[in-house]
Amino acid sequence: MSGPGTGWYLIVAAMLFGTGALGVMLRRSPLIVLLSLEIMLNAANLTLIAFARQLGNLDGQIFALAVMAVAAAEVAIGLGLIVAMARRNIALDVDQASALRG
Amino acid sequence: MVAGAWVCLLAPLGGALAIALGGQWISRRLAGYISTLTTFVAFAGALVALFGLWGRDAEEREHLSTAYTWLAAGDFEVGMEILVDPLSVVMMLIVSGVGGLIVWYSMGYMAGDDEERRYFAYMSLFVFSMLLLVQAGNFLLLLVGWGLVGLASYLLIGFWHRRPEAVAAAKKAFVMNAIGDATFALAIVLLIWQTGTLELLGVFEEVDGLSTTTVNLVALGLLGGAVAKSAQIPLHTWLPDAMEGPTPVSALIHAATMVTAGVYLLVRAHPIFEAAPDIQHLAAILGALTLLVAGLIALVQWDIKRVIAYSTMSQIGYMFLGAGVGAYGFAIFHLMTHAFFKALLFLAAGVVIHHLADEQDIRRMGGLRSALPRTHLAFLVGTLALVGIPPLAGFWSKDAILASALATGGALGWTLFVAGLAGVLLTGAYSFRLYYAVFHGSGAAASEHAHAAHEEGPLSMLVPVGVLAVLSAIGGLLSIPGVWHPFTHWIEETGAALVEPTTGQEYLTSAISVALGLAGIFLARRAFQRDRQLVTQPAAWRLFEHKLWFDELYDALFYRPSAALARTLRQNVEEPVIERSLSEIGSGTIQAGGGIARIQTGLLRTYAIAIAFAVCVLVVVFVAVR
Repeated sequence: MSGPGTGWYLIVAAMLFGTGALGVMLRRSPLIVLLSLEIMLNAANLTLIAFARQLGNLDGQIFALAVMAVAAAEVAIGLGLIVAMARRNIALDVDQASALRG
Repeated sequence: MVAGAWVCLLAPLGGALAIALGGQWISRRLAGYISTLTTFVAFAGALVALFGLWGRDAEEREHLSTAYTWLAAGDFEVGMEILVDPLSVVMMLIVSGVGGLIVWYSMGYMAGDDEERRYFAYMSLFVFSMLLLVQAGNFLLLLVGWGLVGLASYLLIGFWHRRPEAVAAAKKAFVMNAIGDATFALAIVLLIWQTGTLELLGVFEEVDGLSTTTVNLVALGLLGGAVAKSAQIPLHTWLPDAMEGPTPVSALIHAATMVTAGVYLLVRAHPIFEAAPDIQHLAAILGALTLLVAGLIALVQWDIKRVIAYSTMSQIGYMFLGAGVGAYGFAIFHLMTHAFFKALLFLAAGVVIHHLADEQDIRRMGGLRSALPRTHLAFLVGTLALVGIPPLAGFWSKDAILASALATGGALGWTLFVAGLAGVLLTGAYSFRLYYAVFHGSGAAASEHAHAAHEEGPLSMLVPVGVLAVLSAIGGLLSIPGVWHPFTHWIEETGAALVEPTTGQEYLTSAISVALGLAGIFLARRAFQRDRQLVTQPAAWRLFEHKLWFDELYDALFYRPSAALARTLRQNVEEPVIERSLSEIGSGTIQAGGGIARIQTGLLRTYAIAIAFAVCVLVVVFVAVR
């Protein structure tokens, strides 16, 4: 097995995940929130693939492909929602979309 | 023969169903005809059964007919079965015969009432219930008839349901009877437990093998039922109030059905009572007590129907006395003659009430002899039969019971005998007080209603009265001391008498009793001529007028404590604990909901932070636990 060790992959994945999580928690634009979610998903994919490579087992890679498919579907819906909001002149700000307040 | 008995049982039920289901399709008149006709069909069925039994040997006159198995639980089975024997046939004849005459009479009496169809459906139901009671081949079916009689009486006493007094009287009758039903049911449960069967004949065979305690308890339970249904002390208070119902209903309750059920039960279940002689004597003592108390109360009542009602209580007391000393034949004989003359008295009183436009107070009657000559004659026959003047019906039967008490001997026998004789004196006094007040004296009071006066009544009212008058006159000839006893011998095939008075005792009793009856009549006549009351002592008057304060006593003993208990529970448990806890649970839930709702801010980013925080906590927990 050549290239960096699994630990390095995990560190990168952790940094990516942290970036994505911070983005979801701090940014107000729905577009950026969606983007940050994708980063978090990809961080998870990276760990799956890293471990699959370490263990020589293809299950993790297949799982990563499945996650990508789900992510693509999710983005399609999310972007659709954002377009719909823009068309109706609703402000693109997650803090203002608070109609479900208890 | 058995088919006749089944027809007798089911015809009135068919009548009741036809009227109930027919509703508006049948006219009011037709409802009356259906009810009358089905009751007379029942009488015809009973006659067929009678002649069927007559043709058989004495040993084969007991026939149990099972239609199907009604209830089955393990080894225990109860069939839909009727018992045809000399006793039940006689009861069938009395119930359907006298009942039929009363229903017929109702067609005239109730004509024009708003709810005639309902009335006749109830009447048919009443007759059916009583027939079920007397024909039942097992105790459970007997209890069903027993309960149905109570239900039908409730419906009929409260027939005029717009009158609050009638509704209250109906409820009272039902509650008092429910006490008796409960003790009866307990006795039945005890019988199932101890003997494993409820068939009358089966139970009677097993009585000897039961312990004394069991037999006493069973007999006491049955006696409780009998006392309630027959309005004996201490469960008698419903009977006078039951006069709120229409007059023919009173006649039906008092003569053909209902109150005689207790006497029937005492005679029917005589093997049980003979095995528990103390309880049987208790029945006789209660009867003696009731006949005296009822006779005394009857001396001061003003309502024509109430006087007759107390007289019924008193006469049923004689029957209890007879059954209690073991003179079953005479008890049933008196039951029959009483059915004749009491139905006659009630129906004649009904004619009077009808004539005076629903006036029942004897202070506002008088001098009706000229206005209602035929009714006067019938009433006189009934009253003389009640007092026991020969050769009318009451003479033969009442004196036979008293002679049996005398033949019993001992302290008990003599006490009962003396009480019975005192009752005869009272009977003469109160019944002739009523007779004089209604039919003699000045007609001034009655003339107020003169405008309402019509003929004596429609034919449908007068014919039954006439038939009953004839029966009251000659009905007693079925048993003449020293000459022949066909009636009592017939009954004694079912229950052999424990005492057999000698002819000498019977004639001695008759002489004393007729003398006392005449003395009573004389007292009433003198009091009437001098325009005095029979009871002149104010304290005694008040005592009798308030019916010895039985109602007030029960009110204080049972009603007030339970009402007070209910009120206390309402104030201290229901309102503070149960009602308030309900509203507090509601408001608490609303408040908790409001608190939790505040967490849901609608801000997406707080949700994300909360999730991230929760994940961190979980990670820490999992790591730490490991």
